[in-house]
Amino acid sequence: MKGNGITVTRILRGALFILLAASLAACGQTVSETFTQVGQAEPEPPVASASAAPDFPLTLTDDAGRAVEIPAEPQRIVSLAPSNTEIVCALDACDRLVGVPEFRDGYPADVLETIADLPNVVSFGPVDREAIVAAEPDLILAAGNELTSSDDITALADLGYPVLTLYPESVDEVFADIQLIGSAIGAVTQADALVRDGKDRVDAVVATVAAAETPRTFYEVSVFEGQIYTAGEDSFLSSLLELAGADPITGDTLSTAIDLETLVAQDPQLILLGDAAYDPSITPDAVARRQGWNEMTAVVDGNVRAVLDDIVITRPGPRIVDGLESLARLIHSDLFE
Amino acid sequence: MTAVTAVAAEPLAELRDVTFGYGARSVLRGLDLWIDRGELLAIVGVNGSGKTTLLRLLAGTLRPGSGSVSVFGRRVSAFDRRELARRVAVLPQSLQLPSGFRVAEIVEMGRTPHARSRFGATADDEAAVERALVDAAALDLADRPVEELSGGERQRVLVAMALAQEPELLLLDEPTVHLDLGHQVALLDTVERQRRNRGLTVVAVLHDLALAASYATRVALLDGGRVVAEGPPRDVMRPPLLAATFGVGLDEAITPDGARHLVLRRPGG
Amino acid sequence: MRATLVTARPLLRGPSLGRTALVLGGGGALLLVALVAAVAIGTVGVGPGETAGILAHRLLGLPITATWSPAAETIILDLRLPRVLTAMLVGAGLATAGTVFQALLRNPLADPYIIGTASGASLGAISGLLLPILLPGLAIGAGTAWLGIGAVQVLAFIGGLLTVIVVYAVARSGGRAPVVTLLLTGYAVSSVLAAAVALLMFSSGRALGVIFGWLMGSLGGASWTDLALAAPLVLVAFSAILARWRRLNVLLLGDRQAAHLGLDVERERWILTMLATLATSAVVAISGTIGFVGLVVPHLLRLAIGPDHRLLLPASAVFGALLLVVADLGARLAGGIPVGIITALIGAPFFIWLLRRSRSVALTVAP
Repeated sequence: MKGNGITVTRILRGALFILLAASLAACGQTVSETFTQVGQAEPEPPVASASAAPDFPLTLTDDAGRAVEIPAEPQRIVSLAPSNTEIVCALDACDRLVGVPEFRDGYPADVLETIADLPNVVSFGPVDREAIVAAEPDLILAAGNELTSSDDITALADLGYPVLTLYPESVDEVFADIQLIGSAIGAVTQADALVRDGKDRVDAVVATVAAAETPRTFYEVSVFEGQIYTAGEDSFLSSLLELAGADPITGDTLSTAIDLETLVAQDPQLILLGDAAYDPSITPDAVARRQGWNEMTAVVDGNVRAVLDDIVITRPGPRIVDGLESLARLIHSDLFE
Repeated sequence: MTAVTAVAAEPLAELRDVTFGYGARSVLRGLDLWIDRGELLAIVGVNGSGKTTLLRLLAGTLRPGSGSVSVFGRRVSAFDRRELARRVAVLPQSLQLPSGFRVAEIVEMGRTPHARSRFGATADDEAAVERALVDAAALDLADRPVEELSGGERQRVLVAMALAQEPELLLLDEPTVHLDLGHQVALLDTVERQRRNRGLTVVAVLHDLALAASYATRVALLDGGRVVAEGPPRDVMRPPLLAATFGVGLDEAITPDGARHLVLRRPGG
Repeated sequence: MRATLVTARPLLRGPSLGRTALVLGGGGALLLVALVAAVAIGTVGVGPGETAGILAHRLLGLPITATWSPAAETIILDLRLPRVLTAMLVGAGLATAGTVFQALLRNPLADPYIIGTASGASLGAISGLLLPILLPGLAIGAGTAWLGIGAVQVLAFIGGLLTVIVVYAVARSGGRAPVVTLLLTGYAVSSVLAAAVALLMFSSGRALGVIFGWLMGSLGGASWTDLALAAPLVLVAFSAILARWRRLNVLLLGDRQAAHLGLDVERERWILTMLATLATSAVVAISGTIGFVGLVVPHLLRLAIGPDHRLLLPASAVFGALLLVVADLGARLAGGIPVGIITALIGAPFFIWLLRRSRSVALTVAP
């Protein structure tokens, strides 16, 4: 019967589709631009960011490497991550927040009070774009590494909002981000002071633990159905533990998981229970009863401690220094009164 | 083989030295057969002798391993599917019908190879469908949903669908297997009418020798993948030949009107 | 030779004009209502008067003084309108593809994803989502786009199409790809890809929430650009499929009889599969894998209006669009949950009710 001319037909059809789609996409771009009205920044010559009092408009480079133009000092700030919320409040700009994430856990009391009535702009997963637009922000503080999806970031930026993406991976980067946000909202002086104080305190901790032995430490983030999660290799948490004078046992870089055999082989001298802050059933005694855990040096010596302020330790915000101090106290209790 | 008579026209269809096998199993072994226009050729033989395979080769759904199959003077493989379907129709033994259609709509599917309009049936199609329903004695079923048909009614619908194709050659694949005697006779009467009135050529695979003998103008007996005998029924349907092929005892009886009948001899007297 | 008709009444009315008008007209009207309602209603209140004003002013160019805030305008025109239109497109595309696969594979459980589109597109999309995390040096990701679309959509589209092509190639032997082989091969390939997806999810760390949202299907990422790219693909696929309505009807008779009626069955199956996959991949690329629409809508309509694809195809498209617009509205009001959850919650009980009501949803009647 007939030959296989279908392949040619299919390819031609496919090419036609793609051509059609491409030309229509060009139209689509034009259509989309016609509709966008809100927050269109007028092109101004960018002013380099500096720690001396910057004037607006200015252009900043965020943690994702994007150049973000901020036309005027922001008065309506939307935060898409709790750490950003805390930074803004630490810079005395809490009253300028107009939208925050849904989860209200682990904030200091004064912050909680201020943000109590603010609308929720993000829950688990994607952001609520309508809520963000309705809040009429002039600055959006997003979280990097897909905590806020890049799709959402691009969409909000396309709508004309200045979107700053923050993703600190160490204490020093937290300080840098505090100063970045400080520049962005016109609170440079406060940012500088906060960072100066923070650095002093960090130096003090480092000095105190410098001479001490660094115990092999396992920080338990969570244990669920046989899966153990801890600080990932080269992660923020592992760097924090090192600063606090510990030798952290780390898990997989991406998944942060570690298997029990490896953990037993590493034989931690100290176990810190970060999940004890959220689950009262996680206690040193409970850990000692776990299958395969009872031979670990930490368990045998009784060096299993609950970390009740885990949220402070794992939130890369202004209280990270509190977290560091708290960790150092847990690890080297003898060096701190 | 019968005596050669002067051939007035080219055969409608021809199989020449055809072999066909399913994997290692060889079904047709060097089979020769021709089909004349306007005849009703019955193909008989035991199961597995290749009757259905032969039909499928004629319909073009199978290709011979070697040899040639031609219809209307051309190799079957040289035909476009659609072109072939305009001239050759197949009446299947049975068919699963999609529920939700009315009979007329099913019969209209027989117009597919002729269909010209993108939007639906043309007046020609309508006329052809109606004619087919009338010929198949199924006009009264036209509006019935197919789910509600009995076995006999179903078969009439399938016949109508085949006739709606307005074929020159109609292939029947053991069409009487599921039918009771009354319906069997009705079916073959319809087909015979078409043959006489419209010059339809029919090739029917039949397992019922009595039906074959009654309706066929010519019979071909298949055994071991070849045609071992062909000719008018009276010549082929002889006890010795059939007994050898089917492995049963057969006698012949003559009724007072002179008609000859095959009688099955029961084992043990 | 034209014989005179024996009877005066027409035997082949086709889907009657009255019924066509009722189904398509009624469906279309409901769709319009749903469209307006879905644009006017959302998590943020924009009054119906303001909504109408914004639409009239910006879309129709009517001179109306703006009594609304720019934020309201952005919400209606940049967020809701593209989202609702995307819901229509995706619903129509999925329902059409589902109709085609149910006819092609003669299987009442067939949906647009049955031979591997979902798993292929998922793998593509999740790879796109994780690329910036797994390979930061590659600098693909946020802000990288070609013609306005990101790596996720492109990879999802390609993943869906490629998977079906591979399934077909594997299932084909001797130039034929029989239905059962296609189904089984699709299942096998899907399983392998699903395992790969699971592996990626395990390694995804904190991006897991985003990935899960994509898998459940969501219209939250709708944009005019996505719409402009996907719409022509879906429309062309739909038109080409609708033009083949007769062939789809005949294929219901089975491969052998369809061949006897002049169809090149293998070729038709290939073409229709690719057309349906084109539509499916295009919509999955922009909305993730939304379930149930492609399965339930064709069944419901077939029970209501019969299997003739001349009417079934456009009706499926209209009611598929309607279902998804309504489901998306529900998803938005329920707190922005993935719309796939709503379609499953509506679809499943409805389907069960359907099964109990009708004698069967089998597509054919055995002799």
